[in-house]
Amino acid sequence: MTRHHAHDARQQVTDLAGPTLRIDPSLCDGVGICAHLAPDLIALDSWGYPIIDDHALSRKRLMRQAQAVVSACPKKALFIQG
Amino acid sequence: MSEQDLAVDRSILSGGSAVVSRSDSEQVTGVARMDLASHREAFGRRPSVRVRNASALIDELAEVALTGRGGGHFPAAVKWRSVAAAGPGGIVVVNGAEGEPGSAKDAVLLQTRPHLVLDGLVCAVEAVGASEAIVWLHQGAESTMRSVRSAIAERVAAGEDGVPIRVVLAPDRYVSGEATSIIRTIEGGPTLPRFVSNPAQPWSDGARPILVNNAETMARAGLVALRGAAQYVPTSLLTIVSRGHRSVVEVGAAETFGTVIATHWSDYAAGEPQAVLVGGYGGSWASWSGVRHLRVDAAALKPAGLSIGAGLVGPLPMSACGIEESTRLVNYLAGQSARQCGPCVFGLAAVAQLCDDLTAGALTSAGRKRLTRFMDEIAGRGACRHPDGAIRMITSALHVFSADVAKHRRGRTCNAKVYGVMPLPGEHS
Repeated sequence: MTRHHAHDARQQVTDLAGPTLRIDPSLCDGVGICAHLAPDLIALDSWGYPIIDDHALSRKRLMRQAQAVVSACPKKALFIQG
Repeated sequence: MSEQDLAVDRSILSGGSAVVSRSDSEQVTGVARMDLASHREAFGRRPSVRVRNASALIDELAEVALTGRGGGHFPAAVKWRSVAAAGPGGIVVVNGAEGEPGSAKDAVLLQTRPHLVLDGLVCAVEAVGASEAIVWLHQGAESTMRSVRSAIAERVAAGEDGVPIRVVLAPDRYVSGEATSIIRTIEGGPTLPRFVSNPAQPWSDGARPILVNNAETMARAGLVALRGAAQYVPTSLLTIVSRGHRSVVEVGAAETFGTVIATHWSDYAAGEPQAVLVGGYGGSWASWSGVRHLRVDAAALKPAGLSIGAGLVGPLPMSACGIEESTRLVNYLAGQSARQCGPCVFGLAAVAQLCDDLTAGALTSAGRKRLTRFMDEIAGRGACRHPDGAIRMITSALHVFSADVAKHRRGRTCNAKVYGVMPLPGEHS
């Protein structure tokens, strides 16, 4: 996914139909491991901080990627809501 | 009594307008302070908001469509209901920290109408079933602090309230006025904004529910409690920035920006402004032709993409440059980042640098593209709304002052003869 896709997703109204991947940006240090583990959900911005696709994690593959980054983030900045 | 007299009688500032200096809000002139006796004479006794009719007051706040006057304009009734629903024993905070640097309306309110604000505060405590009342102020705001402390002492001496009111002082910083900074401090943390995943519950899980409302919002809640929704007049408190001072005025929803600025902007005699900064330093620029006919009313502003925000009205004289001014403001805003979120810390600094380049006539085509991309990337990505406001202001500046952008891009000098129109903390003028 390109940065622009992630950005477009962010601009849209969050799909409330299911769980979404979210971030507490005040905890994030821009380590960037998340973008490698969840390329379909996360792109990095110009400073290396994650831009997150806030669509519902409707497909199993996306949910698996989301769960992987939630446990991999060394700052515990990511979580699944809903 | 004429209709106008009635409107004045029901207003907050009794038809007066206050004047404060550009650099601080320590000396308020033009509106006399109402002590407890004069406040009670004008407004009567504060009605008790017992559990039985607590929801009635909240319904009245919904009826008058009261929204948060700190800038966010979130419906007050929704906030009060969610705190009430969280159970008894909570805390109510009136936020008088006036995070918006150009704004002086909350200082004027707390220095001239402290009992209206405190009536709202105590009514809120009763309405949401809280057990503690706090007034949150900047530590440097000495006149405001003195006024609030003496108002509390008057109320204690008169045996007015069933709940003690405590003053808590915040560091003198832009983000200290953020509601989540206040909640975090009360919960024992640092005075910094916090990410909130559920807007209906900004307090921590298992912690006491906390209601935070801006001083003007609380004064308006007090007005509704004292006079009833039927008597409530939906006015706005505005801070109008002139070169020599700031004016705080109360304006009805039928008045236009054109008449308000012609009446209260002391530089108007030298000519109409070219544009107006509306809402706050994180608000939007609007061209004079685009804003002069608009009414000072949320519904009238919304289609124009504007919000009354924290009530700041900053007219820009023809002799100033909107790009120079906006660059100065975005540098200030970038410096006020709480330094917690990457997109705010690095993004705002990068945007400010590119605006410096633009002002200096050194912005390349690649730089112009980067500026657009950076602003796109930053929007919506902080724990608080601080970066969004800065981006909103710069976006509107590039649009409204497009002719000045073109001049600066070509390395030509703009026609600016006047600099530093909007006041910044720490400056003396």
